Amino acid sequence: MKPLLNWFRRGRLESDLDRELKYHLNRRVDDLIHSGLPETEAKRQATLEIGGITQVQEEVRDIWLTRWLREFAYDVRLSARSFRRSPSFTATAVLSFALGIGATTAIYSLVDQVILHALPVRDPQRLVLIDWKGEQVYGGFGSYNLMSYPLCRDLQRQERLFEGVLCRAAITINLSTGGDHKPAAAEIVSGTYFSVLGISPAIGRLLTSDDDQTPGTSPVIVLSHDFWKTQFAGAPDVVGRKVLVNRHPMTVIGVAAPAFRGIDVGQVPSLWIPAAMSGYALPIDPTSDRATRWMQVLGRLRPNVTLTQAQAGLQPWFKAMLEEDTRRAGFPKITAERRQRFLASTLELTPAPQGHSGLRRTLSQPLWVLFTATGVLLVLACLNVAGLFLARGSARDREISTRFALGASRGRIGRQLLADSILLALSGGTLGVLLAPLAIQTLIAFLPRNTAANALQSTVNPRLLLFALLVSVATGLLTGLAPALQTGRRAVISSLRERGGTAFGGLRLRRAIVTAQIAFTLILVIGAALFARTLTGLLVKGPGFVTSSLISFGIDPIKNGYSPSESNRLVRTIHDELRASRSTQISAIARIQLLTGGTWNNPMTIQASQRITTDREVHLNAISSEFFATLGARIVAGRDFDERDSRPAKDGGQRVAIVNEAFVKRYLGGQRPLGARIAPGSGPDVKPNVEIIGIVSNISYRGLREDWEQAYFPIGSDGFYEGANFYVRVQGTHEAAFQSIRTILRNADPTLSPTYFRTLDEQVNRALSTERMLATLSGSFGTLALLLSLVGLYGVMSFVVAQRTREIGIRVALGATGLSTLWLVLRDALVMITAGVAIALPCVWALGRLVESQLYDIKPTDPATIAVATVVLCSAALGAALVPARRASSMNPTEALRFE
Amino acid sequence: MPSSRFPIPQGTLDMLILQILSLEQAHGYAIAQRLEQVSKAVVQINQGSLYPALHRPEQKGWLTAEWKPSETGREAKFYCLTPSGRKQLKAEKESWARLTGAVQLVFDEGN
Repeated sequence: MKPLLNWFRRGRLESDLDRELKYHLNRRVDDLIHSGLPETEAKRQATLEIGGITQVQEEVRDIWLTRWLREFAYDVRLSARSFRRSPSFTATAVLSFALGIGATTAIYSLVDQVILHALPVRDPQRLVLIDWKGEQVYGGFGSYNLMSYPLCRDLQRQERLFEGVLCRAAITINLSTGGDHKPAAAEIVSGTYFSVLGISPAIGRLLTSDDDQTPGTSPVIVLSHDFWKTQFAGAPDVVGRKVLVNRHPMTVIGVAAPAFRGIDVGQVPSLWIPAAMSGYALPIDPTSDRATRWMQVLGRLRPNVTLTQAQAGLQPWFKAMLEEDTRRAGFPKITAERRQRFLASTLELTPAPQGHSGLRRTLSQPLWVLFTATGVLLVLACLNVAGLFLARGSARDREISTRFALGASRGRIGRQLLADSILLALSGGTLGVLLAPLAIQTLIAFLPRNTAANALQSTVNPRLLLFALLVSVATGLLTGLAPALQTGRRAVISSLRERGGTAFGGLRLRRAIVTAQIAFTLILVIGAALFARTLTGLLVKGPGFVTSSLISFGIDPIKNGYSPSESNRLVRTIHDELRASRSTQISAIARIQLLTGGTWNNPMTIQASQRITTDREVHLNAISSEFFATLGARIVAGRDFDERDSRPAKDGGQRVAIVNEAFVKRYLGGQRPLGARIAPGSGPDVKPNVEIIGIVSNISYRGLREDWEQAYFPIGSDGFYEGANFYVRVQGTHEAAFQSIRTILRNADPTLSPTYFRTLDEQVNRALSTERMLATLSGSFGTLALLLSLVGLYGVMSFVVAQRTREIGIRVALGATGLSTLWLVLRDALVMITAGVAIALPCVWALGRLVESQLYDIKPTDPATIAVATVVLCSAALGAALVPARRASSMNPTEALRFE
Repeated sequence: MPSSRFPIPQGTLDMLILQILSLEQAHGYAIAQRLEQVSKAVVQINQGSLYPALHRPEQKGWLTAEWKPSETGREAKFYCLTPSGRKQLKAEKESWARLTGAVQLVFDEGN
C-alpha cells in the first residue's frame, strides 16, 4: 500500500531528497575547504565520495516505490507514448475493447440483477422456496409454485426447521390516494413477511403477525419507499393517512426500508397488504380455502438445519396432512390412481436467496444465451487486437531487438508488451463502462412494461465496476499473451539481421488468430440467423387473426367496489355504447386477455362416440358473440354464439361451446365434432353436458408460439364477470377511436380507469419481446463479429502479399498467369476459412442445446440456416481476401523485384 | 581512500544508523561523520549508500524525519528513532550478539 501512496506524493519526496543531498554536499565542501583544499577540488572530492547523485536518487526511488511498481510505471509511460504516436491503431484497439467489454458488462448487469443478485435482506442465503411436487387436485390463480394460505400457516408451525415462513401473492389493485383511482401493484403477504426477511421500516412500523389474525379486522398497509417518495412526495406525516384500496379505506402504518423492493425483481409492489385483508384486495377471499393455490411460500431455515434435513423433516407431517386432506369435506372426487399420486406428493425445497420471480424464469435462458454471445464477441475483440498487435509488433521488431541487445530480459520485454495491452484494455473498459448504462437501458426497454414495474436499473454499481475491471484485465492479459510469447521465441541476432524487420514466426500465429476469428464469427452469425428466423417465423405466422385496426382494453369493476351483478350491468352498458359508436366497426368481450402468457385452463371430459379425458389441460375462455368476427378468425364449421347462449342455464339458456381446430384434431379426429358434448374437469363425476356448436380456426391465446387446444364458452352463461377485456375493430384513426372509447368509459363511471389500453399490434409486439431482443442483439453481435474478422483477414492477407512480393514477382517473371497468382494467394485464405468453419460447426452443434428452447419452428442445427450463414461468411471473407490477392496478381514483375 | 579499511558487512549499516540515532536525533551529514568517528576509520562506508540506508527504515516506520535548522543555521533533515525502531534495534542487537558469540565460540574451540 505504501508504495502506491508514495507514487502519488513522489514530487514532494523527490524535492526533499534533492534538498537533503544538497545539504550533505554543501557541508562536505565547506569542511574540505576548511581543511585546506581549494574550492574546485573540494567540490570534486565531495561528489566523488557520495558516488554519483543520480545513482543515489535511483536507489532511494527503488525504496520508495519498490522496483516492481517503478518498472510498471515506466512501462505504462512508454506504452502511452507509443500509442500517442500511432493514433489510428490505438483508436481501433480501444474501440474494439470498448465494444466487447461494454456489451459484456451491459448483459452481465442484467444477468446479475435478474438471476444472481441476492435480495437486500438479512442473511438471504438461508431463504428457501417451499413448493408442492407431485399431483395437484386444487385449482388456483397466479403463476408458478402456488400454495394455499392455510398450508402456509401449517408450515409456520414447523418451528423446529424454520425460523419463520412467509407467503405472498403479487396482485394489481385499484388505488386512490385522494384523487384518481389508478391501478397499482401490490403484494398480499402473511404477517410474518417482514420479520422473516428482516426488513426494517423507514418510518412508522411494518406488518406483524398481529395484523394477520382475523380476516377483515386490520385494514392497514405498508408503502414501498419508492412509492412513498413519488406518490406522497416523501411526506413525513404519511403514517396514519387513509387510502382507498379497491374503494375500501385502509390506513398507512409505515414505509419499508429504501433498498427493499419486494422479493420479485420483475414485479415491484407499491404497497403490502396483510393476507387477512385479502377480501379487500381480491374479488373473493381465498385465505381460509385449502383448495385454492395462489401464494408462493418461502421459509428461513434455522441456522443449524440444512436444506436436505428440512426437506426430509417436513415429509412425515406433510404425508399426514395429505391423508387428512382426502378425508376433508369438499375434496374433489378423483380416480383411485390419481388419489395415489396425490398422496405420493412431497414438498420440495429450493434455495431462494434471490427471492421468487416469474421474470427470472422467462428471462434466465435468453440472458445466458446473450451472455455467452457477448463472451464470444469479447474473445473476438481480443483476437482482433492481438492481430493488430502482431502486425504492429513486426514494425516494432527493431526497437525490441535493440532493447534485447542492450540487455533487457525476455520477461522485461514481455511485461512491456503486456503493459501495452492492459493499458489499452483498461481504456477500452473505461469507455465501455461509460457506454454501458445506455446499453442497459436499451436492453431493459426490450422488456414489456406492466403495472408492476421491474426493479431493473441501468446504473453502474460497484459490483458491476469490479466485473468490468476484472474483464478488462483478463482481456488485456489474453490479448497481450500472443505478442508477449512471440517475443520470447525470437532470437536477437536473426531479427536484427533482417532488413525489413519482419519475423515470419508471427505469421503463423496471425493465421491461427484469423482462423479462430472466422470460427467464432460463424457461431455468432448462425445464432443470429436462427433467432432472426424465429422472429420472422412468428411474425409471419401471426396470432391467427387480423391485428391492424384492432384495439383492446380492460376494466375491472369489481376492484372499484362493484358487485358482480352491477359489474355485469356496467360491462353491458359500455359494450352497447361501444357498438353504437361511429368509430367502432365491430366489438366483443373476452374474460381472459389474449397474448399475455396467461390462460384459464382445465382438463376436460369429452363425450363423443366414447367418453375420454384430455391428456393435458385445455385453454379456456369465455367470450361474447361476434368475438371471432371481431378478431377476424374463421368459424370453419357450425355457428358463432348468439345472444341466447349468454343467458344463464336457469333462464332457459342452453349449455354450448366452441372449440378450435387443434382441439378437434387432437381429441375428435375422424369423428363428427359438432354435437359432441364436453365439460371442464376430469373426474368420474363430471357430466359432459356442454354441446359443441362450432369450430373456429386456431388463434394464439397464451403466446404466439403454440396452437394449443382451446374451448370457448359464452360469457355470462355462468352469471359472473371477473372484469372484462374489450376487443374493438375501429374505423378511422386509432387516436380518434382511443378518444371516443375514453369518453364512453368516463360517461359510464368517471372513477373507472382501464387496466390497459393498447392496439393488438402492440400486444403482439409485447408477446414477442424476448424473441425481438434475441434477434436484434444477436443480429448486431453477428454483424459486429463479421466486421471484426473481415478486417483481421484483410490485414493478414495484405501482410502475406507484402511478404511474398519478391516470390510473386519471380513467379510472374517466369511466366505465371494473373489467375494462378490470384489462386496462390486465395488458396492461403481458403485454408484459414475452411479451418475456421471446421472448428465452428461442432461448436454450433454443442451450443445448440442452449438456444433450442428459444427457437420457434427451427432446429439449432437447421442445415439450410447453417449453409446460408456459412456461405455468407465465406463469400464475405473471400471478398476481403480478394483485394490483396488482386494486388498480387496485377503485380508488375520489374517493380516487384525492385521492391527490395 | 586507503584500501586497508573493511567494506561494511551487508545489512549492518542500517543497524549502525539505528544505534547512532538511539542516542540523539541527527541529520544525514552528522550521521556520516559520527560513523566515520566511531568506526575509527576501520570500516569503509560509502557515503552514497548512507541515504538509501536512511530511507529504507523510514519507509518501514522505524525512523521519522523533520526539517529544522541545523548547527550551521541552514535547514537539514533530522532523523529520529520511533518506538518501533527502538524495538527493531534491540532485536538486531540481540541477534548480532548471538551471531558474534557463536562465531567467537567456534574460534575458541579451535584454540
